[in-house]
Amino acid sequence: MPRRDSGARRKAVRSDHGPRTTDHGPLGGCHERPDARAKVAGSTRYVADLALPGMLHAAAAVSPTAAARLVALDTAAARAVAGVVAVLTAADIPGANLVGVIFPDQPLLVADRVRMVGDRLAVVAARSPEAAWRAAALVEATLEPLPAVHDPVAALAAGAARVHDGGNLVKAFRVARGDTRRARADVVVEAVYHVGGQEHAYLEPQGCLAIPEGRTRITIVASCQCPFYVQQAVARVLGLPLAAVRVEQAPTGGGFGGKEDYPSEPAACAAVLAFATGRPVRFVLPRELDMQGSTKRHAMVIRHRWGASRDGRLRFAEVDTVLDAGAYAGISTVVGERANVSAIGPYHVPNVLVTTRVAYTDNLFGGAFRGFGAPQVTWAAEATIDRLARAVGLDPLEFRRRNVLDDRRRRTCTGQLLPRPVLARACLDRAAELAGWDEFHARERAAGPEREGLGIGLALYGCNLHHGGQHLDRSSAVVIVQADGSVVVRVGLTEIGQGNLTACQTIAAQALGVDPAVVQVWQPDTTTVADSGPTVASRGAHASGMAILDAVRRLRARLDPVAAELLGCRPDQVVLANGRAAIAGEPGRSVEVAAVAAEMAARRIEAAATGWYRSRPRRFDAESGLGAPYESYAVACHVAKVHVDAELGLIRVAEVAAAHDVGRVIHRGALEGQIEGGVVQGVGWGTTERLALERGRLANPSFTDYLIPTAADAPKVTIAVLEGAPSGGPFGAKGIGEPSLIPAAAAVRNAVVAALGVEIDTLPLTPPTVVAALGDAHPFAWVAEEENEDARSAAAPASR
Amino acid sequence: MVDRVTVTLILNGERRRFEVPPGRRLLDLLRDDAGLTGTKEGCGAGECGACTVLLDGVPVTSCLVLAASADGREVVTVEGLGSGALHPFQEALVARGGVQCGFCTPGVAVTGAAALARGATGAERVRLLAGNLCRCTGYAKILAALDDAAEGTTDAPA
Amino acid sequence: MDVAIQEVVRPATIAEALATLARADARPIAGGTDLMVQLRDGRRHAACLVDLGRLGLGGVRRDGDAVEIGAATTMDAIAGDAAIRGWFPALASAAGQVGGWPIQCRATLGGNLANGSPAADTAGPLLIAGAGVIVVAPGGRRRVPIAEFFLGPGRTALRQGELIAAVRLPLAEPPAGRRVVERFVKVGPRREQVISVASLAGRAVVGRDGALEQVRIALGSVAPTPVRATAAERALCGRRPDAAARRDAVRAVQRDIAPIDDVRAPARYRRIAVAVLLDRFLREVERG
Repeated sequence: MPRRDSGARRKAVRSDHGPRTTDHGPLGGCHERPDARAKVAGSTRYVADLALPGMLHAAAAVSPTAAARLVALDTAAARAVAGVVAVLTAADIPGANLVGVIFPDQPLLVADRVRMVGDRLAVVAARSPEAAWRAAALVEATLEPLPAVHDPVAALAAGAARVHDGGNLVKAFRVARGDTRRARADVVVEAVYHVGGQEHAYLEPQGCLAIPEGRTRITIVASCQCPFYVQQAVARVLGLPLAAVRVEQAPTGGGFGGKEDYPSEPAACAAVLAFATGRPVRFVLPRELDMQGSTKRHAMVIRHRWGASRDGRLRFAEVDTVLDAGAYAGISTVVGERANVSAIGPYHVPNVLVTTRVAYTDNLFGGAFRGFGAPQVTWAAEATIDRLARAVGLDPLEFRRRNVLDDRRRRTCTGQLLPRPVLARACLDRAAELAGWDEFHARERAAGPEREGLGIGLALYGCNLHHGGQHLDRSSAVVIVQADGSVVVRVGLTEIGQGNLTACQTIAAQALGVDPAVVQVWQPDTTTVADSGPTVASRGAHASGMAILDAVRRLRARLDPVAAELLGCRPDQVVLANGRAAIAGEPGRSVEVAAVAAEMAARRIEAAATGWYRSRPRRFDAESGLGAPYESYAVACHVAKVHVDAELGLIRVAEVAAAHDVGRVIHRGALEGQIEGGVVQGVGWGTTERLALERGRLANPSFTDYLIPTAADAPKVTIAVLEGAPSGGPFGAKGIGEPSLIPAAAAVRNAVVAALGVEIDTLPLTPPTVVAALGDAHPFAWVAEEENEDARSAAAPASR
Repeated sequence: MVDRVTVTLILNGERRRFEVPPGRRLLDLLRDDAGLTGTKEGCGAGECGACTVLLDGVPVTSCLVLAASADGREVVTVEGLGSGALHPFQEALVARGGVQCGFCTPGVAVTGAAALARGATGAERVRLLAGNLCRCTGYAKILAALDDAAEGTTDAPA
Repeated sequence: MDVAIQEVVRPATIAEALATLARADARPIAGGTDLMVQLRDGRRHAACLVDLGRLGLGGVRRDGDAVEIGAATTMDAIAGDAAIRGWFPALASAAGQVGGWPIQCRATLGGNLANGSPAADTAGPLLIAGAGVIVVAPGGRRRVPIAEFFLGPGRTALRQGELIAAVRLPLAEPPAGRRVVERFVKVGPRREQVISVASLAGRAVVGRDGALEQVRIALGSVAPTPVRATAAERALCGRRPDAAARRDAVRAVQRDIAPIDDVRAPARYRRIAVAVLLDRFLREVERG
């Protein structure tokens, strides 16, 4: 069982945004997740489980090459396949042939130019999936190859092949504080990190169902993180007003960011086919196509020059990052924005110069992925911190202690002042203690091929959306108290496995003083709640929770007077707890909340209310990168213990100690589940999950060769929860979805480097990468050298 | 048109007869012909385990089983794991919170139930579960639930 | 999605199976754990599948001075079989590492061989056991030595219309006083459910003086087929596996292999991995 440790900080500041309830209630408890029972029985209906009479199946014909001009498209053979009802190309789209959340640079169906493998050329609807995919394979495209660029750094050099007419630089960001060139440092380290991307590998492939009503309106049921994005995309390609497009989020089998931006594409395809055929169309992507065509975590090349004083104080940090956006901008600029301000971590550095450039290439396009640019720059920053610690001869834990932000030094790299208490030092110390840092280092360790190492990863995460995206940072809720006392809650943010239903249920139950079991939270639908933005940035519980609390507040303006009348007190004396309305300070007199609900129904009093949340406005100067990009921050520290086979390069992550600044626990089980899952996903990214891109094509688009951790690979995760730092969230809670992943791979990297004594600056740390990093230090390096010589002499013409 | 083949199964304890195309996978027979959509398709290549069912009592990935090959045999899906109620491992998954997005869960439940039936212990349980990928939970609560179910304690931990 | 076949036949006897397999467009299917994926991806084709499930080809039995494993015996059954674990521990270990458990419950020994993969986990243990593949054809049975069975990636000595009925492993009781060390080790980036980037099956018979009276080494995923490491074996035979002998063997084994760069690992890594696996096996033999 993961350890829970919250007592130490309990008495710290708590910003309680909840309405009047007693302290008892479901908050911080571990009641049964409301979606668990149906899921475990197999009765939850995901998109692929839905079928309608007359329903057609969609398929897509995609480009096998990365850069080409589309000369001709022959769909005759595809149309001839028995069971095919429609084959559509770019010319058949009724509205705009456009997808793309921010930049209008991506067509739904290629009209003239292919920019990445997996670009859609045509879509098919047929009576069976077999016929649809057979037909898609028969779409014949004449493609004329164009020069391609696959290296993001090369893409920004003069003379590089242009992916889009406007050039390959999508956008650039910077943070400039102090003067890094004039800063004095005793020790300077430089490094270039090549950080690979990641496939989301949600277990449920992308999918949706489009149900047309003539040509006037349409319902989309989609596996997605943001029904509102899907609504906008579908309205655009069909040329419909938003109100004519209803998007219902289906139970969603994992997202991790992969179902933020991408689901708009299959949904738009299905919508176009549904309008063309007048029939429901289901589009579920086969795994290979899902992996080949959908967004990925961005690969980055990160160049560092950091300096410290002899006594281990950071003096300056220069970071130059290039993100591989791939063929389309998608939301890469937003990822770049976060990577930019996250590049330094929770450290006090007086002189900072960060530059971040987002580059187009002909690779698969990058998108949202848990951490959103922060894991890559954290990986690099934590590697450099360890390098500097070694350079000045300090233990990496002690080096961090000398530089970490705390209650005295609380300015982030953008100059934002953090409110007290700052728990970075506390997280660092708790994780190190849980991992047994001192005991480990006091112990003798074998120098043979089986090595052990401990490594630290420390991260500062800006909660919710960045300043640049704050216009999206709002959320809608509807709360309805039924006549029997049960409660319906609708929010605009989605359950994708992370536990948003559980969090919303807990928050609503706490606010209404009722048992969570009487609260039913339903998946969002764009016709029942207002646009609430995407379920990303660890904002689900925060944004939907605050909207629920607002709705409850409004509801209680009508509920409390009824309760007061039944109790014979003033409305402002009513407290709700344990399923009862009572008089504050007079525990003896109370009535059931259900009785109050019945009374409201009898009197025809509106027992429903909407709620709204928007994040607080803040000042940030995008030009200098200075100001307050985020409303609040969370700190996360992971300490990984690894076993490394120094000859085969195999890494086993045995344990990860995870200390998290969570504000306040809403649901203990869901919190632990997020941390355990985030750690393992981060460990996978850092070790075995390699995207093998060959000229823009993913050479391993399957679970056979793209290796995510199995039960046997998962480390034991021990958890320390630190409560009490202010958040602006419901009951003082902070997001956990992304902080749970961000430092994990960095901790593993530093542990492996500590075990082997060689730097490794390429992620992931696959066995060949580890062995290559060992170079001549490997006891059998001579084997490969001899073989190379043999091969050279064999190839020499004289020997033939 | 290709001929259809007859496939008779003892499906979740009930004798059922299906006429299906010869190339039908057991997975599609279960989902499309028998209407048992609890069994999920995550990869279609036998790598993720979401489609795991019991075939004559042992777990198999139904995406790689030709429906015709299962003719005359006994198949148990997630819907039939417990008799009437949930299987103790399913109950333990609920109690432990070993369910997040839920898409791997039916396969996990089937494999876990089979591992319990075999009497697997300790590291062997982990090995037997390693063919069922989960991207949400990090496996900790799944494995804890398996231990709980084996010990007959399905109550949530204090 | 259905796989693109026209017909499936479920014969009850080998004769019936062979009669259908005489058709050029027919292909046998047992566990289907490789074939179903290949049919789906279009890497293999068949109009007619001949399901071998009713032929009763499963099971392990002692037959005189040999153990015969039916072609339809699953990996799970092999991994758990007491006789195989006792006599051929490398084979039991390999069978327990083929894919995840639901795959092991379905995948058969015959299929693992007929698929012809250089990464077939059971091939190495069968190579060091000197196994014979019992093949049935319309004309009768023939025995193909396992060393002659694999011809190239996806290609085997099995001809169109033939079936694997069983694999026969000779039992060789070592003379008294000898020590036998037998191991199977597989290297992949993940701890379970992974296709190997290199594997080694080794069997050594060590005399009273510590010298290797007999040593057999087989390697997977480092050549177009699973291979016996004959050069390494020659370098070792009759010697104690000391540092000098190990170094000679590690050098010699590089001539036994021809690894390539692919999506799973570069050739350089495979060469080094084979060196490490061989060195470790020999150290273990030396330690006893």
